Amino acid sequence: MTLVWVHEDAISLDHPAVHAAGPSATPIFIWDTAEHDRRCYTLKRRVFIYECAHDLNIPIYSGESYEILAALSGGHDIYAAATADPYISGVLAELSRDHAVETLDSPSLAEVPANTDTGRFFRFWNRARKSALTHSEDRLIS
Amino acid sequence: MVNMLDRRVPAEAQPKSLDRREFTDRKALVESVLALSPGVSESDRVISDLRGGRLQATERLAVLDPAKYGSTRNHLDGAVTRLSPYIRHGIINVTDVRDQALEIASVKTAEKFIQQLTWREYWQRLYREFPDYIWNDVEPYKTGFEASDYADELPKDILNGSTGVACIDQFIAELKQTGYLHNHARLYLAGYICHWRRVKWQAGARWFLSHLLDGDPASNNLSWQWVASTFSHKPYYFNLENVARFSGENIDTSAQANAALAETYELLYEKLFPNLESKQ
Repeated sequence: MTLVWVHEDAISLDHPAVHAAGPSATPIFIWDTAEHDRRCYTLKRRVFIYECAHDLNIPIYSGESYEILAALSGGHDIYAAATADPYISGVLAELSRDHAVETLDSPSLAEVPANTDTGRFFRFWNRARKSALTHSEDRLIS
Repeated sequence: MVNMLDRRVPAEAQPKSLDRREFTDRKALVESVLALSPGVSESDRVISDLRGGRLQATERLAVLDPAKYGSTRNHLDGAVTRLSPYIRHGIINVTDVRDQALEIASVKTAEKFIQQLTWREYWQRLYREFPDYIWNDVEPYKTGFEASDYADELPKDILNGSTGVACIDQFIAELKQTGYLHNHARLYLAGYICHWRRVKWQAGARWFLSHLLDGDPASNNLSWQWVASTFSHKPYYFNLENVARFSGENIDTSAQANAALAETYELLYEKLFPNLESKQ
């Protein structure tokens, strides 16, 4: 089945990855204890994440992310929110060897040219300011 | 990375989702999480009052006050939103938060708030472009010390919140109890760890990530580097007078309980950074 991996960087069903996957896709959350242990998450972090995932009323699987996704997808497409997180993106990269993996960016606050100097925040802010201070609806119109 | 293709689960062993449970109360949910998390140590089993979920996020968004935020945000008891854990985990989009701010305030009034939201976007962009920045010094320390002069691990008194510096111990207790700290308190705590105790920023960043509900490697670690001076022009440090100015009544800022911080900036500079040229 086509899956949407709702991972901890985007615990939402209102995400471009969920919309792109379509209504027949199955969003799932994976409770990856081994990864939480590697990240040394205290219980309060785990509880917060679990509450967010539980709130979505989607299936929650417990296990290592790659193994769950590979087993459930049966070779079908996998959608996920794009992330810089090395573990999540590493799992997706492994899956992409024998699955069609689509990652979609979360909505962006600002439109900043690719060649913008990111050496210090205020150089970035000077390029981001105009679009960051524009309401999404006004941005769509312009 | 380990090649995980060799460990694929055969079709007959399809994973099963956890039973969908409607928890009667939060305690039951916590017990369920604990059962899934046997590796969590006894000392790390504190639960925050801050709850996860979209309703909690939208309730906080509904009381957003960009004007009050702009005028009080640097104060520990200021009108900060505590939306960051929800933004960090994508419960709510940062664009929705921005749009809400612009719907209830003018661009000028909302600018300071939106600028703070943009910091997160900035850190995320760096994370994508320069993943090595997250755990490595972006630049050398500008403290007069080499990275090798800093300790690799946090001392026990910091982990336990028993440094003997009253306000620092209060910030540590709050971090451990709530999983949340006002940004200014984060800066104080990070500055104390890097410059008073001369501990590598990585040790502090790792510790923050284990506790902060909004803990995100990009925002967290690069902010630590900003404090340490490995991603800024100079180290961030402060004195007790500054803490007193921005703290509410709940923080002990008496000089006798915070002797290590109770100095002028000039004297602290000489004490903390003796290898740098004097400011006087």
